[in-house]
Amino acid sequence: MAAHFDTEYQRLEASYSDSPPGEENLLVHVPDGNKLPWHHIENLDLFFQRVYNLHQKNGFTCMLLGEVFELVQLLFVVGFTVFLANCVDYDILFANKFVNHTDSSKVTLPDAFLPVDVCSASIRDNVAVMFVLMISGVFWLHRLIKFIYNVCCYWEIRSFYTNALKMSMAELPYFTWQEVQARIVEIQKEHQICIHKKELTELDIYHRILRFKNYMVAMVNKSLLPVHFRPPLLGESVFYTRGLKYNFELIFFWGPGSLFESEWSLKPQYKRGGNRLELADKLASRILWIGIANLLLCPVVLVWQILYAFFSYTEVIKREPGSLGARCWSLYGRCYLRHFNELDHELMSRLSKGYKASSRYMNCFLSPLLTVVAKNVAFFAGSLLAVLIALTIYDEDVLAVEHVLSSITLLGVCITVCRSFIPDKHLVYCPEQLLRVILAHIHYMPDHWQGNAHRYETRDQFSQLFQYKAVFILEELISPLVTPFILIFSLRRKSLEIIDFFRNFTVEVVGVGDTCSFAQMDIRQHGHPAWMSEGKTEASIYQQAEDGKTELSLMHFAITNPQWQPPTETTHFISQLKERVQREATGDRHTLTSLSGSEPRSLIANFLAGPPSLASLHLGQNGSLTNHGPVGVSDGASALRSLSVSSMRGSCSSAHRSAGHASSASRAMPGSSTDARTASSGSSVWEGQLTSLVLSEYASTEMSIHALYIHELHKQQSGGELSRHTWHRQDSDDSSDSVTEEGGSGGGNPNPRNPIPRSHTFPITTPISSPGPIPSSNSGPNPDRGTTPGQEVAPLQSNSQRRYGGNTDSVGPGGRVVRSARVPMGGWTEEGRGGQHPETVPEEGSEDDMPPNIHKVT
Amino acid sequence: MNCRSEALEVSVEGRQVDEAMLALLHTILLHRSTGKFHYKKEGTYSIGTVGTQDIDCDFIDFSFVRVSSDELDRAIRKAVGEFKDAMGNGTDGMGQISLEFYQKKKSRWPFSDECIPWEVWSIKVNVVNLANEQERQICREKVGEKLGEKVINIVEVINRHEYLPKMPTQSEVDNVFDTSLKDVQPYLYKINFQITDTLGTSVSTTMRRLIKDTLAL
Repeated sequence: MAAHFDTEYQRLEASYSDSPPGEENLLVHVPDGNKLPWHHIENLDLFFQRVYNLHQKNGFTCMLLGEVFELVQLLFVVGFTVFLANCVDYDILFANKFVNHTDSSKVTLPDAFLPVDVCSASIRDNVAVMFVLMISGVFWLHRLIKFIYNVCCYWEIRSFYTNALKMSMAELPYFTWQEVQARIVEIQKEHQICIHKKELTELDIYHRILRFKNYMVAMVNKSLLPVHFRPPLLGESVFYTRGLKYNFELIFFWGPGSLFESEWSLKPQYKRGGNRLELADKLASRILWIGIANLLLCPVVLVWQILYAFFSYTEVIKREPGSLGARCWSLYGRCYLRHFNELDHELMSRLSKGYKASSRYMNCFLSPLLTVVAKNVAFFAGSLLAVLIALTIYDEDVLAVEHVLSSITLLGVCITVCRSFIPDKHLVYCPEQLLRVILAHIHYMPDHWQGNAHRYETRDQFSQLFQYKAVFILEELISPLVTPFILIFSLRRKSLEIIDFFRNFTVEVVGVGDTCSFAQMDIRQHGHPAWMSEGKTEASIYQQAEDGKTELSLMHFAITNPQWQPPTETTHFISQLKERVQREATGDRHTLTSLSGSEPRSLIANFLAGPPSLASLHLGQNGSLTNHGPVGVSDGASALRSLSVSSMRGSCSSAHRSAGHASSASRAMPGSSTDARTASSGSSVWEGQLTSLVLSEYASTEMSIHALYIHELHKQQSGGELSRHTWHRQDSDDSSDSVTEEGGSGGGNPNPRNPIPRSHTFPITTPISSPGPIPSSNSGPNPDRGTTPGQEVAPLQSNSQRRYGGNTDSVGPGGRVVRSARVPMGGWTEEGRGGQHPETVPEEGSEDDMPPNIHKVT
Repeated sequence: MNCRSEALEVSVEGRQVDEAMLALLHTILLHRSTGKFHYKKEGTYSIGTVGTQDIDCDFIDFSFVRVSSDELDRAIRKAVGEFKDAMGNGTDGMGQISLEFYQKKKSRWPFSDECIPWEVWSIKVNVVNLANEQERQICREKVGEKLGEKVINIVEVINRHEYLPKMPTQSEVDNVFDTSLKDVQPYLYKINFQITDTLGTSVSTTMRRLIKDTLAL
């Protein structure tokens, strides 16, 4: 019977004889296992996160010390509070009761303390105090165990830094993350940290570190998370606190029963559209339970928040009372403004650069009424204070009079508060221009702000991103009370949308696992036609990222990681954009004037102010520092240079441009030789000292220009017509009308002319989308799916990724690849129907029968 | 997970299950075994020989090659036998058997040694019921052909130049290879199986994850 079958295995006949084990003629091997143990790390997500954390926390010792102090601080907070509440005799302290000392009349601090036994008895009797103590004890123990666990883990990372990356902990703070990353990429070639690929890319590392953050950014971008509310008195407001964020992450990513089965993979049932309703129900009930748990734990968390806020902020407020009037970027703002694939430190440095301009912008809007009142209050309070101080100077016994010291303190605080309402005398009212400077740093902004910078609505909306520190603290304090209700009433209704979101926007990337597809920054799949990707994007409205997020994120990533080699289409997009920016900026400077409105110089000067002499600094280095992007960086360099110089010296931009290239191409035009010389002499001083830090500063400037340019272009393109995405897309959006557009299926749809309805009100009933009868119970072509994935997946995407959800490709009966159009199921419009589920989803049955996408692209 | 995974799927009749499984598992293990290592003083080693042997199947028109090690064969047969018992006899059923290659990583004191898988082969089995003898005959040939294709697939996958654990030094050889067998030395492997109803994470893994997550907060 075996004779029928033709295998390549053949029995070796008699000629075969085992060679005798003579020691001398054996083949001898040398083991290579003695190297560093950094190959094949099990959980790369955690590993990279830890590597990043250790870098951000400036090395092992700093981190260790910080954590130890945090633990001690916790103990102190709890202990001190209990002590103050129970062990101090306030009557003695306030001198309402006299101490019967014999020798002296002085009251000392120890006199005010109660004896130990009285104190401990009062603590034991007080149930509430015991409760608080127990809770914090459990909490502290948890932190302690976590700390010990962390120390063990980070010790490994430390040895990874020292042994594999060859960076000692002492010099770690002076390496940029980009340098660390470059070394990791280097290490991969040698040690194979990740076993799926020979080489890691920067994007892989970012994806792993930011896997869940990218999802959150995308969810905020698509207005999926319930953070916008309209409470009766306050008007439109945003409520997004750390507690709420923690709960979201608990529900989606890592809590028990979450959507992800491990750090790197979504549970398979969520990748199939078949039983989405059932899954949505399940999710809704989970959210309900977590909400109830939050409600039950609310008193504990509330007590904790109050204690924590009290001890962390009282000192600050006492030291500089004005800090409450200061502003900070809200948690929501950080999510809204974050690019896809942007690490924490990149975001923070960007936002910090925008801080000054932002607070100046907000200060433009001081209420005139308040100003008048504040001026007068400050006057009266000031005169009282002056008198009191003068009297004190004259005779310090004044201080001994009851309440004099406290009134001096109060008056001081009062004046400081008032002063924050009085605008600076020399302030120039120019909101439009300020907003532009802000935009250069924060990169995102709803369309209708432009031209309306002076309006109060704009200011209010901006204040949602940039809130008072006091408001921030207040929100954190009430968060434990509000969070359960948000979970139970708002988030639960969105469960179907969430299920749809995770199915439609999750791709599996080889060597990375399941990531948010937005984070791939693929213009074709998620570009927005109104944001430069007209004609390149094939995304339906549901798939487009709002506010040009895909495009801007792509630019940002390409600029911060010049070594990164994007897929060809993307490269094309980037180089095209850079070319345009450069041309417009250097050539007729037409955009420049339109970019910066009335005062170009101040704008340019403003964002050139950071790296002062970068234009000359950068010369001559671009070739050696960046392998991939001499084009990109030098383009930007010359653009910048011409910008800065031309604004100083008038017009010789072409000369400067050639000066920029002269260093690399040694080709100087006749009129520009002097400029070239000065430029290169400037650079020669710095040659060799140009660190990547300078480069990164430089990159941020370049990114600013690109962001401004993209926004400007977007404004011109939309041409004043109302953009479809308004600030905070409201629940019933205009996107709910069924938009019919050309079938935007992935490259190679055999039938692209078939119009496909793109909305949920018109579910998926296209003839080509039914994947045909799939034999799954017999030995049809189905078993092949597992072993020959290449044949069906390869044409799908060039960068070997797989999309779940709408894009269900399968091998039809004839062996032909039948690909259903990529029409995502579900969408925005769900909530318009008040959460009721649509009756039928045509594909449900067939999708259910399909085997789960167990195979990976290899 | 930082691990390659390959999936195979076969549809067989009830009585063919163990032979089909044996054929596939042995084929994989044939390529993932080496001869015994004999370490010398200077940190070098020589590799012993591995015998192979042809096995003919009774219920399938198929024969396969396996490492001629009875111990290994016994271990595999035991696992496959358990799998078949768990599947139950006769009626339609689905199951999955997975062969996982891993390496051990020594950890510091508070933690136990980690087993880090680097390659997982999961073989899905559909058991079909056949009505009469004629269908059985057809099935016999068909399954034989299918298995032949699978074997070629396996060889293709194995021939790709992909990650394999580095060759260990003498002290570490237990972390990479299963040295308990006398005549052959396969990479460390585990065989697990699941029957369709229980597909999904077990309670213990969930608990373990929960604890780990709380620690890693």
